[in-house]
Amino acid sequence: MIDDTLFFMLIVGIIISAALLLIFVWAAKTGQFDDSNKLIDGMLFDSPEDLNDAIKQEKKKEEAKKAKVLKMKKKEVSQKND
Amino acid sequence: MSQVKCNHCHLSFDEEIMIKEGDLNFCCKGCQGVYHILQDDGLNSFYDKLGNKTISPPLNLVDDDISKFDTKSFMKNYVHTTKEGFNEVDLIIEGIHCAACVWLNEKILHDTEGLVDANINFTTNKAKVIWDGDELKLSDIILRIRAIGYNAYAYDSSIADEKATKAKREYFIKMMVAVIASMNIMMLSVAKYTGFFTGITPEVMHMIHIGEFLLSTPVLFYSGWVFYKGAYYGLKNRILNMDFLVSSGATLTYIYSLFILFGAKGESYFDSVAMIITFVLVGKYLEVIGKKSAVDTLDKIKSSLPLEATIIDGENKKQVALNNINIGDIVEIKTGEKVPVDGMIIKGEGAFDEASLTGESIPIFKKRGDTVYSGTVNSNNLIQFVVTKDFKNSTFSSIVTLLEDSLNSKPKIQDTANEVSKGFTVTILTLSILTFLVWYFFGLDLGFDYDGTSHFEKSFIVAISVIVIACPCALALATPIASLIGISELAKKGLLFKEAKFIESLAKANTVVFDKTGTLTKGELSVVKANILKDTSDNLNLLYSLLGSSTHPISKSLKKYLESKYDLKAKELFDITNIDARGMSAIFKDANENEFKLIGGNLDLIEDENIKHNLNPQNSVYVFAINNEVIATFELIDEVKDYAFDLVKYLQSNKIDVVMLTGDNENVASTIANELNIKTYYSSQTPISKADFINKLKEKDKIVIMVGDGVNDSIALSNADVAIAMGTSADISMEVSDIVLLNSSLTSLKDAFTISKRTYKFIKQNLGISLLYNLITIPFAMFGYVIPLVAALSMSLSSLIVVLNSLRIKMK
Repeated sequence: MIDDTLFFMLIVGIIISAALLLIFVWAAKTGQFDDSNKLIDGMLFDSPEDLNDAIKQEKKKEEAKKAKVLKMKKKEVSQKND
Repeated sequence: MSQVKCNHCHLSFDEEIMIKEGDLNFCCKGCQGVYHILQDDGLNSFYDKLGNKTISPPLNLVDDDISKFDTKSFMKNYVHTTKEGFNEVDLIIEGIHCAACVWLNEKILHDTEGLVDANINFTTNKAKVIWDGDELKLSDIILRIRAIGYNAYAYDSSIADEKATKAKREYFIKMMVAVIASMNIMMLSVAKYTGFFTGITPEVMHMIHIGEFLLSTPVLFYSGWVFYKGAYYGLKNRILNMDFLVSSGATLTYIYSLFILFGAKGESYFDSVAMIITFVLVGKYLEVIGKKSAVDTLDKIKSSLPLEATIIDGENKKQVALNNINIGDIVEIKTGEKVPVDGMIIKGEGAFDEASLTGESIPIFKKRGDTVYSGTVNSNNLIQFVVTKDFKNSTFSSIVTLLEDSLNSKPKIQDTANEVSKGFTVTILTLSILTFLVWYFFGLDLGFDYDGTSHFEKSFIVAISVIVIACPCALALATPIASLIGISELAKKGLLFKEAKFIESLAKANTVVFDKTGTLTKGELSVVKANILKDTSDNLNLLYSLLGSSTHPISKSLKKYLESKYDLKAKELFDITNIDARGMSAIFKDANENEFKLIGGNLDLIEDENIKHNLNPQNSVYVFAINNEVIATFELIDEVKDYAFDLVKYLQSNKIDVVMLTGDNENVASTIANELNIKTYYSSQTPISKADFINKLKEKDKIVIMVGDGVNDSIALSNADVAIAMGTSADISMEVSDIVLLNSSLTSLKDAFTISKRTYKFIKQNLGISLLYNLITIPFAMFGYVIPLVAALSMSLSSLIVVLNSLRIKMK
């Protein structure tokens, strides 16, 4: 019984660790650990206002990308018509 | 007078000089302007984020260069197009002090219409900015940054930078995987080893082995992959290096542990596998970080050159990108501008600050026909010169290219552990193979009873146990533990060793090359002889006022000297004129409007003015005259640092050759060399000739240590076996150095040699102990007498002896 529990805990522990490790690898690969100083001070900049700003900036980026694609398409069409 | 804090930069100043605005106080117009911009833009939370920290007052920038950011040549060189069709530029932001500065810059950029993304790296001050070229110009982005008191330069994100960033990320992930897995393995090991003494069921033990196996596998094959790669390249070049020792030891221990896991009798050592890989990998990661920050500093240096130069084309002047300047073109540079390419002066004359190239603190006067070098600063006057070398072959670019090359291939002498590992690995592998052959073919069957295993398996386990018992612990620990203690002892004395292996190089060195200025001497002029012929406080006040109008190093040092000796007040002077490379003149009017002509400068100036004197100085001289009558004379020298003489004597008594190299002239060099009893010295050295000198010494198989401080020493530093930089050095010198003297004191340098020699002695002792341990244990292993408990104890005991022996380094 004890052995089974231990084995179960071992497997669950390893699965959780592996999941966390994968998240860590993803974060590191996308450059989130490149700036050690910014990372350390990061907790000073996570007020609701700052997080809202970050979301706003992400949205702005996405919208700018969409607008650019549209603009490029329009440009291509007008070039073809010409 | 009470001190008041500026509401923007938080620096304290006298209340009297502050700009008042209700309850608000500002130290300058710049701070006041930025404060109001932030209030208007709703960014006042910047001050909450800044807390009690201080920042520099805004840079006082003139925006007349702003149009260059939108020119075609600039766009071609620095702006890239993203796959979505946006513009992207890499900038270095000047003036960033803290995370609040990063927040403010990112916020102001994110709020700019047309800007898609801005990401600033706080550690390197580098920023990647993406914007829509149809809606916004780069010059507008730069103006936004300047408006809040910072400045931005573009830099060419080099391939070296990309490579270094990628390598840093890769090593970081590998290291973290290894560290996390090893920490978990250690927890399981505590249970396992406690079980040896308190009792543990075979089932639980088996489970622990499974856990250790699952955790150590990624450590060995993912994190440890770099060692396999290193070993492969080593073998390709017929070298059995430390990587080979680490990878072969860890792999064989892993295979042996697998046998145990799947039923063979004995003890598994998955924990040893993970620990060895992790420890050595952490060291490698620190090396990668060092390389990355060197690349970052190099980018900053590169961005300090102008992007374009003014070319005179007949009657017209035009801006041309540096890469497009041809030999024979005529370039014009204004006061304060950097020389972009090498050339020969054809019009104008003036002083050039060559400190960045030669370390010479006094500006050099150059006239028609003289050569100007890229990277030097035109201190005064408008100069025109004809280009003699294109941008790529000019002095500044050559230095940058050489530094880039040296970062990629820094030659180092092999460390002892590597040398030992060569012989050791071969011996152990041979013994292991011999053991297998003897056991298998001669049917040897000694030691403990391995129930249920075939004769082949038994022979194999015994052969592997030879490697396991011999390889990982004692030898792997012998050098690092002693080095670690040595390094911490050195750190206490203000010596920062970037890698442990330099302890050995320092202990073995037989030639030390010193730069003069800032290393053996203080790098600032001090008055050694003052002769005041007419000592009235009025005369000295006038001299003080004249000195205050000059930024020349001699004037500055003399001003400091007078301030320390007398209580002086500055007087108002008129018609202040700077006489190139000679001195200054000015007019003083007393209460009755009587005019007095003041002259202060060197002997050339005094002789030009036909002032009589009978001076015959040995050092730099400053003469002050009023109405053509000499009032005071001063002699100044760059003083030798405290303890320099003792250090040179210590090195010579230890049979280490001492050489001095300097960019200064022969007179200055010989004076200092004689004072310090240095027999070999070379004057008028350029950065490249210094580096050549180091290379020549190395060709003669000398182990060379270079001690320097300036940008001008950086190539020589990077070529030396061990590079030591002063704590006050230029950034790049510290980056390419292996050891930094944090307090710039020469007593610490002597400590570096004594502690390194002592540590090296203990490293050799430790290697001796671990070899002795192997001599005793390997025969047992070969004959199959390594029982699990003996193996566990002997491995720990050998490590413990090595650790305790290393602690003796601390004892005096």
